[in-house]
Amino acid sequence: MNYRYRLIALAAFAVTVMMVSAQPAAKTATATKTWKQPMTPWGDPDLQGVWPSTSMIQTPMERDPKLGTRAVLTDEEVAQKAARNKQFARIETGSANGRVPIAAGWFDYGKPNRQASLVVDPPDGRIPPLTPEAQVREAARKKQWDEKKDSPDTWLDLTTWDRCITLGPVGSVLPFAYNNGQQISQGPGYVVFRNEMIHEARVIPLDGRPHASPQVRSWMGDSRGHWEGNTLVVETTNFNGQFFIGSQGGGFGDSGAVATDQLRLLERFTRVDDDTINYEVTIDDPKTWTKPWKIAYPLRREANYDYIYEYACHEGNIFMHDALAGARANEKKAAEAAAQKGVK
Amino acid sequence: MKNKLVAFILGCLSVCIPAWAHHSFTAQFDGTKPVTLKGTVTEMEWINPHAWIHMDVKGADGKVVSWMVETGSPNILLRRGFTKKSLEAGTEIVVQGYMAKDGENKINGGTVTFPDGKRLFLGGSNPDELPPSK
Amino acid sequence: MGGKPNLNGIWESLSTANWDLQDHSAYAGPMWELGAIVAVPAGQGVVEGGLIPYLPSAAEKRKQNFANRRSADPEAKCYLPGIPRATYLPYPFQIVQSDKDLLFVYEYATANRQVNMGKPREAVADSWMGMSNGHWEGDTLVVDVTGLNGKGWFDRAGDFASDGLHVVERYSLTDRDHVAYEATMEDPKVFTRPWKLHLTLYRRVEKDSQLLDFKCIPFAEELLYGEFRKQPGK
Repeated sequence: MNYRYRLIALAAFAVTVMMVSAQPAAKTATATKTWKQPMTPWGDPDLQGVWPSTSMIQTPMERDPKLGTRAVLTDEEVAQKAARNKQFARIETGSANGRVPIAAGWFDYGKPNRQASLVVDPPDGRIPPLTPEAQVREAARKKQWDEKKDSPDTWLDLTTWDRCITLGPVGSVLPFAYNNGQQISQGPGYVVFRNEMIHEARVIPLDGRPHASPQVRSWMGDSRGHWEGNTLVVETTNFNGQFFIGSQGGGFGDSGAVATDQLRLLERFTRVDDDTINYEVTIDDPKTWTKPWKIAYPLRREANYDYIYEYACHEGNIFMHDALAGARANEKKAAEAAAQKGVK
Repeated sequence: MKNKLVAFILGCLSVCIPAWAHHSFTAQFDGTKPVTLKGTVTEMEWINPHAWIHMDVKGADGKVVSWMVETGSPNILLRRGFTKKSLEAGTEIVVQGYMAKDGENKINGGTVTFPDGKRLFLGGSNPDELPPSK
Repeated sequence: MGGKPNLNGIWESLSTANWDLQDHSAYAGPMWELGAIVAVPAGQGVVEGGLIPYLPSAAEKRKQNFANRRSADPEAKCYLPGIPRATYLPYPFQIVQSDKDLLFVYEYATANRQVNMGKPREAVADSWMGMSNGHWEGDTLVVDVTGLNGKGWFDRAGDFASDGLHVVERYSLTDRDHVAYEATMEDPKVFTRPWKLHLTLYRRVEKDSQLLDFKCIPFAEELLYGEFRKQPGK
């Protein structure tokens, strides 16, 4: 099964009609002279609020190679993309061809924008090559995935997202077709980055304490933050080496890989106006990618997205039951058919 | 362009899973078994990662059978103003989807419409329609 | 904090509430294979008046829950614990409070919930952690919780309520490192009258104390899906 099609579909399907009438593309916002960074009562820059990634859904993870080091699309390119996506959306909803679609249309659509890719470094907007050892690891993982995903032996054959464990810290903040909510809460000495899917809240101490012991590793890692001017800088280590970083965070995209426990993330959050935080994350895992790479894009407030609803994934994970029970049912049918043949 | 589109669709069936599908569609549903159900809502189960519509469907033999229809994450609907009161028990709906592989009376909600053809969950499903402005 | 008591910090209950809310002697756990590790120690209950006032039909259900607790307890499945149980699980939680916002972050199952301190919001759909609206009454934080889905338990002994449960919590700092916690439960489908529980929350004062995520799904999958795993040789 060719997952490049899935990626194209992923980028394409996520878009149809604009949420609001077409606007000039948003460049990464810069603070204007007149906007003043609000502060909390205890003197930290105030980043509190809900900052979804929804507006960036239309931007692919990696840049079209034809664009080279050009990070900004032209108006014509934006318009072409929008038109193509509209056609694909017709496929998705079934109105183009009468074929039964996969979904009844439960998506967010984002806004047209000129950012050519979420990856901004390396300058060609594409994830750097894998190390030789990572290539071997990933080839084995993909082989396992291709063989087992439609008929899993156990839950371990499916992704950490299928299992409702996590999308990982990067996957959780990447724009997706739904549940892009993120919330920042603050208290003296702390910032909390809370994501909707899958209801994690990363507590970030700001008091300069060292990281937890290297013997304590986890899915979301161990974060430490400090301020550089009005920018929150967060360093996260102590990962468990079990989750995927890539276009969806789920593990079946072509671009990306499962990071090792050597992964180190460096994030920067800079608020540039009332409604925008510029977010960037540098992904550094020398055992997986040949050099660090960076994702950057704005998180934008939305009028109807001021509350993070609960996303209790595991508690309603009927898919897991169906995938396993379905696989066993099919195996049973195949075994019975084979036995019948034997009898005849 | 139309031929290219047709070729894309034909080559696409179980591969071009829309962005919403965070898991393998073909692990759970059988793409060779499309189903159309016409029946009455008994309950809407507001759970993640997929909300489920429970419905009663009267078969050709007159027997009423209960089905489960998979829909998307409720979080998007809640933000669009669709709440637990919005799809009441007793409402008639028509659903098209594909059968679950494990043999139970379960399908994915490919399209969900009212008997007059009007789509449920407006604002997201029709690409020709502008979503409600805020 | 913003003129109100400052609840910022890491807190934890030291009660026996999560084992069994009511007064109880020590008793055997749900599996003998782990011996004293899963046995339940004696506990002085946290319920005001001693007994939870179940309706007769509900008392029956509680008995069934207890008998099935090994697989039926949502905690075993790593399900979100709901309110008030999240408060007295044997794991710490953190309150992050500013002058406008209040967030509770629980270690267990990466549960968390925002307490809305502005205009109260209605619960538009039921959830495991409910919808929390908070306000101050003098120096007491009062949190009103609705929209719970009725699928959580109160403890490992099978105490439960329906989706009609309404919880009102009260948090008061009695000194720098202690919070008096009270929760009032009301659910006419399950209880004959409202009832309360009281316990103390202790500040985790160890240097560099921090939450560590307890993502327990990998430890619950065998319990939940083991019967559907492929058997070797089949």
